Amino acid sequence: MDLVAGRHFADERRPIRHLDPVLITGAGVLSIIGLFLIYSSKHAQLQAEGADPMFLVKKQITAMVLGLILLLLVAVVDYRFFKVYAGFIYAAALTMLVLVRIPGVGTTQLGAQRWFQFAGFQFTPSEFTKIALCVMLAAILSELRTPEPLLRDTLRVCLVAGVPMVLVFIQPDIGTTIVLVAITVGVLVVAAARGRHLAAVAVGAVVMIALALNLGVIKDYQLARLTGFLDPANNSLTTNYNKSQAEIAVGSGGLLGSGYLKGTQTNLEFVPEQSTDFIFTVAGEEFGFVGSMVLLLLFAVLVWRAIRISYLAKDPFGTYVSAGIAAMFSIQMFVNIGMVIGIMPITGIPLPFVSYGGTATMANLVAVGLLLNIHMRRFK
Amino acid sequence: MDRTSGRLRILALLVILMFIGLTTRLWFLQVLAADKYKDKQVTNRTRTVLTPALRGNILDSHGKPLVKNRLSLQVQVNQQDLGANSAAVLTRLSKLLMIKLSTLESRLKDPRYYAYAPIPVAFDVPKQVSWYVTEHAQQFPGVRVVEAPVRDYPDGDLAAHILGNVGPITADETKEPLFASYGQNDVVGQTGLERQYERYLQGTKGKSFYLVNAAGKQIRTIGSEAPQPGDNVVLSIDARIQRIAEQQLLSGIMRARGQADSTTGQSLVANAGAAVVMDPKTGAVIALASWPTFDPQWFVQGMTTAQYKARFNSSDGQPALNRAEFQVYAPGSSFKPFVALSALRSGVANEQSSYPCPSVYYYRLDPNHAFNNFESSSGYMDLASALRVSCDTVFYKLGADFYDKSAGSAKGTDLLTNDLLPFGFGSQTGIDLPVEAGGTLPGFDYALQHKSVYPFGWLPGNSILTAIGQDSVTVTPLQLATAYSSIANGGKLCRPHLADHVETPDGKTVKTIEPKCHPIPYTPQQLRFIRSALSGVPVSGTARTAFLQFPLSSIPVAGKTGTAQRQGFQDTAWFAGMAPAGNPKYVVVAMVEQGGFGGVTAAPIVRHIMEGLFHLPQTNPIKATAP
Repeated sequence: MDLVAGRHFADERRPIRHLDPVLITGAGVLSIIGLFLIYSSKHAQLQAEGADPMFLVKKQITAMVLGLILLLLVAVVDYRFFKVYAGFIYAAALTMLVLVRIPGVGTTQLGAQRWFQFAGFQFTPSEFTKIALCVMLAAILSELRTPEPLLRDTLRVCLVAGVPMVLVFIQPDIGTTIVLVAITVGVLVVAAARGRHLAAVAVGAVVMIALALNLGVIKDYQLARLTGFLDPANNSLTTNYNKSQAEIAVGSGGLLGSGYLKGTQTNLEFVPEQSTDFIFTVAGEEFGFVGSMVLLLLFAVLVWRAIRISYLAKDPFGTYVSAGIAAMFSIQMFVNIGMVIGIMPITGIPLPFVSYGGTATMANLVAVGLLLNIHMRRFK
Repeated sequence: MDRTSGRLRILALLVILMFIGLTTRLWFLQVLAADKYKDKQVTNRTRTVLTPALRGNILDSHGKPLVKNRLSLQVQVNQQDLGANSAAVLTRLSKLLMIKLSTLESRLKDPRYYAYAPIPVAFDVPKQVSWYVTEHAQQFPGVRVVEAPVRDYPDGDLAAHILGNVGPITADETKEPLFASYGQNDVVGQTGLERQYERYLQGTKGKSFYLVNAAGKQIRTIGSEAPQPGDNVVLSIDARIQRIAEQQLLSGIMRARGQADSTTGQSLVANAGAAVVMDPKTGAVIALASWPTFDPQWFVQGMTTAQYKARFNSSDGQPALNRAEFQVYAPGSSFKPFVALSALRSGVANEQSSYPCPSVYYYRLDPNHAFNNFESSSGYMDLASALRVSCDTVFYKLGADFYDKSAGSAKGTDLLTNDLLPFGFGSQTGIDLPVEAGGTLPGFDYALQHKSVYPFGWLPGNSILTAIGQDSVTVTPLQLATAYSSIANGGKLCRPHLADHVETPDGKTVKTIEPKCHPIPYTPQQLRFIRSALSGVPVSGTARTAFLQFPLSSIPVAGKTGTAQRQGFQDTAWFAGMAPAGNPKYVVVAMVEQGGFGGVTAAPIVRHIMEGLFHLPQTNPIKATAP
């Protein structure tokens, strides 16, 4: 019996039996809702152009299939493997960020150089930079010899995080930079960095930003975008036009929304970037406050599971990676929805799982793969 | 791991704060402020296109249209779309329309239009022009031929002054509250009744609602509201009487030009005149004529600046000026009945006494203060006879007595002015036209306010001359008709009005213009006395010749002539009459500028208008002119 019981116990601990069904359901439902919202956001426009109204949905499904394959690959290998190769992952991410800056290799679009273009698909390296940074920071902090990071360690972490931040920032991609900052802060907080160390780093960051402003590294339009939401009456800014249109879309949804495919703000192209950065307007306009709450609830589930996995992880590396991912998901959700409803500056951050975008979708699924991996292998 | 779980709590707390922030804001947007955003959403996706409403008609008292609409093919040029070869396009257009290029260019400079709006350059063009422009569209960029409703005047220049004209709204007008809802290309009443009753005539624009996308592209029609044509304004003007008044006025003016001025012997200039026919009981104006006149159609077809100047700014013509209500003249002896009434009221004179009528009146027997009698003089006469023969010297004495009595009375009481004010002198009648002159009733206070005219203040001579309607006394013909109406109707001063009521296109009355009358402080007995005195004027007084063979026994006429002096000009001829004298139905006033004697020039005009009013055989028939 003991043997049987022992075997049974060992069997119980087999990783495949410890997938997190809540996490999988949450991410899955969000992705499916995303497909419906993407369809709603662009079908009228695509139809008017004589294109297949399912065009974007099909591309998104393709990305999701690819993402699921990546998820499986990431989930199957023990996550500690990634700790070993964290340096390589980090270096690969930096290499891609550098390559994308090289004319002819990276693609310039809308004044920003952040894509690789091949075979009709775009690949955005900065999406994977986020995960690479989670892994890299977690690897550094989990190898500390002191119970909590010293100032030196904190600075080292900030330096490691600062390199991709700068590379992403000059693309320019302020949104992703903010996410990288949030990941760094999230991991440092969970890794028990001292409050005053974090404060010192924050002061340093402010000084750096002030310097960047004075040296003209930050372009005027970027500054205008970032501060535009503080001055909503100034409609001369395109960003404020976008913001006010997005607010009208969400606000006009009311309690229950205007009904699926019936949002005029969305279908008549008043809201810009409806399928990507402003996808939340579709939910807000067509499903109202109730629909918005459902989306928020699903994100709450997602972040809750990530934090729970961080708590359950058997080693600091797992804890830190999960914490980084939790920070990543929550900051993206907050900045994206906040920007749509006018409480955050307009920055190009997609809504995880919901926004149309191949690389982001794949990166998010890889992150879920990592979470599942850590969850499955939580037993020592 | 405890430390880690504590730190994870901090992370969780931050995330919870994020959710609280988002939920709060969403609650505000989607629940509290949802209605505001729903409105904005609707505004966003809807475009409203306005279609102009057909303007209301102006009808005479019998429902005959004086102003209506007709469709006209007009050529419009949008200068912004003319392109680089604007000169070539205009040359082509000039050949096609057979209009001189310079004329075309000057029309494009019409200051009444915005430079970026389509400017009409030719009206009532033949259909062939429209076809040609359509077929050769590439040769005529910015040119279009459109069919648009324009104002139509079935009776030509009849009542042109009171009807007024419409025109494109001016930049200044768009700022006025009256035109708050108007667009930049709207047509509005500019003058006369078109302006006065703009609110009713304009109608309600039609609206078409379109669903549009962010680029403003129309997706489909959502709905529409048909334009509501403007209301019709029905006048108290009787087109028949108006025509007679205009024709007889012109005829009288032409007749005067054949006569010699009594003082200089030169021919009378008789450059202009006016006539008013009024219902004394209500103030309803039955005819209001002014000559020279103009063709309102000119405004429809548009004028070049040169044409406008030639037609309207000529030195003596000023045909746009409505002399019946916007120009003031000394009333001369036509003012005497009101002075007589004042005298009766103030006890300066009475109905029975006799007064001397010498050829010269000396104030206080002072030979330095002599006032000549410009009318006939003969012995002693009562007040009625003094009116009948229009003896100046009798009235000089009344004026002097008023002055003396006022000077002796409590300070500041100007008895003559006080007595004349109730007849409405010195102030506008309030007729329903956009502009009106008020005339002058001078007196002590007036003299104080006009030191340049009265450097020594109000002197006895001023009162003496006021008593015969000279000095600074001025009235409009309409004002005089209103004052005579108060004698005719037994003691009410009524506000004159041209419109009787406003009705919808299908005849439902929207607004009735009620008579606005108030009593004047004269007794029916006093007024009856004056009417009776004035009824002697056409019989045996100053208008005897003018009313020869008029059936005065069946239709007694009471009236008064006036021959007013005007510095530097020939005399102004006046006649104000009412009939039947016992209970007058009509008050008729005629005035001819530089027309000589009132009894000779003005009284016949009134007589012939009265022949028309009472359907008598016309003793001065006018050859029928094509309407």
